[in-house]
Amino acid sequence: MKTIVNGFEYFSPKTLEEALKMLSQYDSEEKEFKVIAGGQSLNLMMKQGILMPECLVSIKGLSELDYLNYDAKEGLKIGALTTHRAIETSDEIQKNFKVLVEMEHNVSSTETRNYGTLAGNFCHGDPGGDPAPVLVALNAIIKMASVKGERTVPAEEFTLDYYETVLGHDELLTEIQIPVIPPNTGVYYTKYSQILGDFALASAAVSITLDDKKEKCTDVRIVLGSVGSTAMRAKKAEEILKGKKITDELLVQAGQAASEESDPTDSVEASEEYKRELVGVLVKRVGKEALERAKKA
Amino acid sequence: MKREYSIIGKPTGNVDGAAKTTGEAKYCFDMSLPNQLYGKHLRSPYAHARILSIDTSEAEKLQGVKAIITGKDVPGGKWGLWRRFRELCDQIALADDKVRFIGEPVACVAATTKDIAEQAIELINVEYEPLPGVFDPLEAIKDDAPLVHDDFENNINATRHIEWGNVDEGFAQADYTREDKFTCFPQAVASMEVHNSLASYDKGSKRLTVWSSTQSPYYLQLGLADALKMREGDIRVIKPHVGGGFGGKNSTMPDSTSAALLSMKTGRPVKIVFNREEEFISTEHRTGMHVALKIGLKKDGKIVARECKVITDGGAYTGLGATALYLSGIFQTFPYKIPNYRYDAFRTYTNKVWATSVRGFGATPTVYCAESQLDRAAKDLGIDPLQIRKMNVMEPGYEAPGQYKVDSCGIMPCIEKMEKRIKEKWPKVEENEGIGFSAFAYMSGGIFNWIDTPYAYSGARVQVNIDGTVDLFTQASDIGQGHNTVSVMICAEELGIGMEDIRLHPADTATTPVDLGAWGSRETLMNGNAIKMAAGQIKQKLVDLARAKLGENIAYDLVAKDKRIYLELRPERGFSYYDIVRDAIKLNDGEPLIGTGHYTPHNKGMISPAYGMGIMAIKAKVDKEIGHIEPQGVLIVHDCGQEINPLGARGQVEGSVHMGLGYCLCEDMPNDNGMLLNPSMNDYKIVRQRDMPQIELMDVPTYEAEGPFGAKEAAEATIAPTAPALANAVFAATGAEFDSNVLKPEKVLKAIRAAEAKKAQKK
Amino acid sequence: MKQILQFTVNGEPRELLIDPKKFLVEVLREDLGLTGTHWACDTGACCCCTVIMDGKAVKSCSILAMQANGREVTTIEGLADGPNLHPIQQAFIDNWALQCGFCSSGQIMAAKALLDENPSPTREDIQLQMDGHLCRCTGFNMIQEAILDAAERLKGQK
Ligand SMILES: Cc1cc2nc3c(=O)[nH]c(=O)nc-3n(C[C@H](O)[C@H](O)[C@H](O)COP(=O)(O)OP(=O)(O)OC[C@H]3O[C@@H](n4cnc5c(N)ncnc54)[C@H](O)[C@@H]3O)c2cc1C
Ligand code: FES
Ligand code: FES
Repeated sequence: MKTIVNGFEYFSPKTLEEALKMLSQYDSEEKEFKVIAGGQSLNLMMKQGILMPECLVSIKGLSELDYLNYDAKEGLKIGALTTHRAIETSDEIQKNFKVLVEMEHNVSSTETRNYGTLAGNFCHGDPGGDPAPVLVALNAIIKMASVKGERTVPAEEFTLDYYETVLGHDELLTEIQIPVIPPNTGVYYTKYSQILGDFALASAAVSITLDDKKEKCTDVRIVLGSVGSTAMRAKKAEEILKGKKITDELLVQAGQAASEESDPTDSVEASEEYKRELVGVLVKRVGKEALERAKKA
Repeated sequence: MKREYSIIGKPTGNVDGAAKTTGEAKYCFDMSLPNQLYGKHLRSPYAHARILSIDTSEAEKLQGVKAIITGKDVPGGKWGLWRRFRELCDQIALADDKVRFIGEPVACVAATTKDIAEQAIELINVEYEPLPGVFDPLEAIKDDAPLVHDDFENNINATRHIEWGNVDEGFAQADYTREDKFTCFPQAVASMEVHNSLASYDKGSKRLTVWSSTQSPYYLQLGLADALKMREGDIRVIKPHVGGGFGGKNSTMPDSTSAALLSMKTGRPVKIVFNREEEFISTEHRTGMHVALKIGLKKDGKIVARECKVITDGGAYTGLGATALYLSGIFQTFPYKIPNYRYDAFRTYTNKVWATSVRGFGATPTVYCAESQLDRAAKDLGIDPLQIRKMNVMEPGYEAPGQYKVDSCGIMPCIEKMEKRIKEKWPKVEENEGIGFSAFAYMSGGIFNWIDTPYAYSGARVQVNIDGTVDLFTQASDIGQGHNTVSVMICAEELGIGMEDIRLHPADTATTPVDLGAWGSRETLMNGNAIKMAAGQIKQKLVDLARAKLGENIAYDLVAKDKRIYLELRPERGFSYYDIVRDAIKLNDGEPLIGTGHYTPHNKGMISPAYGMGIMAIKAKVDKEIGHIEPQGVLIVHDCGQEINPLGARGQVEGSVHMGLGYCLCEDMPNDNGMLLNPSMNDYKIVRQRDMPQIELMDVPTYEAEGPFGAKEAAEATIAPTAPALANAVFAATGAEFDSNVLKPEKVLKAIRAAEAKKAQKK
Repeated sequence: MKQILQFTVNGEPRELLIDPKKFLVEVLREDLGLTGTHWACDTGACCCCTVIMDGKAVKSCSILAMQANGREVTTIEGLADGPNLHPIQQAFIDNWALQCGFCSSGQIMAAKALLDENPSPTREDIQLQMDGHLCRCTGFNMIQEAILDAAERLKGQK
């Protein structure tokens, strides 16, 4: 079976400070350092020889980053070491951010979710990743740190291209912050793959906020996954719904708009055209469920 | 006569269960020997190219490299499974003059560690002259197509013609005829244990021992003998536990030949394990084919004629592909009486890894086509799918002239039972749901002897020791199908003892009587007969002795049951099995009791001594906007003769359905000029459990006189009907017709739209 | 450069000098001779290699051995109680939940983790939690039944 061919040194710092210091040596020592969290993606990249770091900095030992805090005002704070599984099985999240739990059910296998982290998934920058569309739809904020200090960016701006993010190589993602879901708001996410749990052919996350009378849509975010180099907002589709009373008819139109905005590519599983069409159907269906949820919220 | 068995027919746990659930069971994958080297192949990046030179000098310099072999170092023996036709023995250990598919091995390194072997192959320099390749059989047969093997004109590897009745007259009588064309895509085997072998050459005796993940130790022994130009008897093959075979581990492959050659060269044990990518790109798969089918029926649904033309995508070598070609012509007629039938087929060489036998081999692709076509015809004629099948199914004693004869045959009662059950189970279908059917039948081992063995097809030896314990020796292969359990059950039933009394010694060519291995659902019937005969010989001795001791009339029957030998009609008169054994051994000059058994089918036609059969129904729901097919439930009624182990049979059925669903829905091997595009377990899609429906299995027992205790094939048959039953369910739900398998959502969507357009046009 | 790995395997403390690029499955099989943990894909896609680490099912082919440093690992060899099979093992045998058995170690370890977490799972719970496990032989239904049966047996034990 395949193994990793190129060797590396393995470090396991005990504190964030220590870890950041190590990463900062990247420039001074000209050694290629790479962060490893769960390694569920990284180890595969090393096995395939796509990545050949000289030093691995394991952050799994930084217990200070392993937390899930919910506050009714501040929202949810997810430490970088929180596993997919911790999110999937959290009662607090089930109650307040059900969509995250629903999303997690279809991320790979329990085994991957038991050890892989949400932050690691997001840092990996795979356009097929499930968390990204949901985090963008939920207006998440990403907190990062390096020896130079901390900074934050909106989730929407975090991923730049295929497997490329705003993270500097001396930087760690430390926390994912998800604001409280506004009143009268419904959020839903679905991905489609022929076999459940596989990477999506296309996915869509939709967040809809209604006015107090629960008639008109005051805010909407439609985010597509797997159909571009990053998770992407379907802004034209959003425009179709914004300020209106959402009907089935409008959702079909929004789906069509999203389908045009999407930028999928041919793959072994399906053609570009099919994926576009799929986007239309998903946006329509996910939008409908988000609307129902907003009405009940 | 009522048959009551103590062990046969009772749900029985796997005799290897404790070993396999504790990690004790050793697969070849788990084995190693002291001082062992690791072998690794360098593989061709070209689908078709001449090898101009191979330079191994840099690699040889690497510390830890102990030997490197290339095509020049192999003794030059060609081998294959079609030993009756030497020209079809086309496999070679390492490509010599040219490579014929991407992934074909050109060199192999033995090194002290896996890493060194891996690094060493990177240092081997091969100069190729790329040649144009052929990747589709329809291209391959063209006159100007490049030749994969120089001696095979138009790349035709094998041809088959089957005919009975008068087809032209048959079609002339038909009220309705239709023609359909299909493309059946190949399917990967994807056993969980990859191909791997461990070879150890003894310098003193000049004998070779090979442990391998094979499904037929005997075939591997023959293959190695041909490849290495050695005597069979100087090669010992041992099959440890095997992590699945499904037809893909019948051929002798480079994991064995290269490990053997390198062990002979270095004098050290050598282990070769393919990685998953190598498994996908360089080991055998199910045959892809183009199929043209024509059927003629009377208005009432009676089939009067069928004609079938097939051209298969054979890949670079023969494997068992030529057999698949023959069986594709036979099994698509099952389980129907087709009075006039003609089949013309050829197998082409192409520049891809080759196609062979895979679970349900010979049946799965063409049954998909034939059963899909039958439902279309039924719809056009306004006949219910079950009714049209009832109109045409075989009855006991049915014979296809010159081909096969079917003795036990429960297909009609199976369909009748299905009709009843289906009404209770699925009384109605909702919108976008449909129920599809497919009938099926399959062999209980093959009669054809292309391997050209001079031995009986199956052998067994039973030794009874002084304390009544039994040693059972047979080369039959358990590769997961549960044959070890069946072997022990049959032996125990025949001797009337407990399974715990028997120690099984399976699958070692040096110590066990030959058996041809696990393929074509042959082990239960063929090896079962051999074991029953061997045990029966001893039983006879015990019964004779008991009779003599009882002083009973010769006409009285004695039975061996519940560890006793006694008068059938007066059970209190008899002896303990253990006591009789002790006496019998004393009378035998102190030698343990030995029984030998063997089986070779005779007077049963060309295909198989017996056939398992039945009918399957699948209910499915179709998402018409996305094209997603959701199988919701499976109902099967089958006739497998006397079930030996109902648990094992059910397990086999469920596994077959699972693989059949994959064949229908998602298992695809797309290639780009011979390069497989999805050679990993992520990209090659296998149905997972959330997409796997529940299966209800019902039995129609018959008694097959040729089989041990009335048993015949159970389960492999059920892979073939799965894809057509599901496609027919989609057809029933939406009217969509498919001209190929692998019903990915995009294809489904297109077919639904085509059906809707057709309907609109009609209006 | 080799590094020291200290962890507990099946209750026994172990200290090894290993190349940090080795996966846990390599160390278990090759350094510790625990070949009951199998390895069937190269892409983390089949869960054949599942072991339990600190109570959770993880893929030993996708975790570096160094990531197990300081942790507690249980493999299939550590499940039976001396000569007595664990109820899950017995349930797998009695329900014919294994055929070739190559995937079984992973299935059984995942089932163990599942039942530890949820002693009364439904079939749907099992399907969701075990979904990553590929098996080429069984079609899964009988594995699910074995786990349901094992749940009953474990309850009976208490
Ligand atoms: C077979 C398989 C199937 C999968 N299917 C899916 C799927 O369907 N949907 C889906 O969304 N995902 C899927 N994944 C991906 C998986 O969910 C994630 O990639 C994984 O959880 C990543 O988490 P990790 O902690 O293991 O990250 P790692 O593998 O450790 O790291 C991933 C990348 O992020 C970097 N990194 C990690 N943490 C940080 C940090 N805190 N700061 C800075 N950089 C960091 C690493 O350097 C690396 O480049 C699948 C993976 C596999 C193996
Ligand atoms: S071997 Fe670990 S997931 Fe396949
Ligand atoms: S039992 Fe063979 S792979 Fe699962």
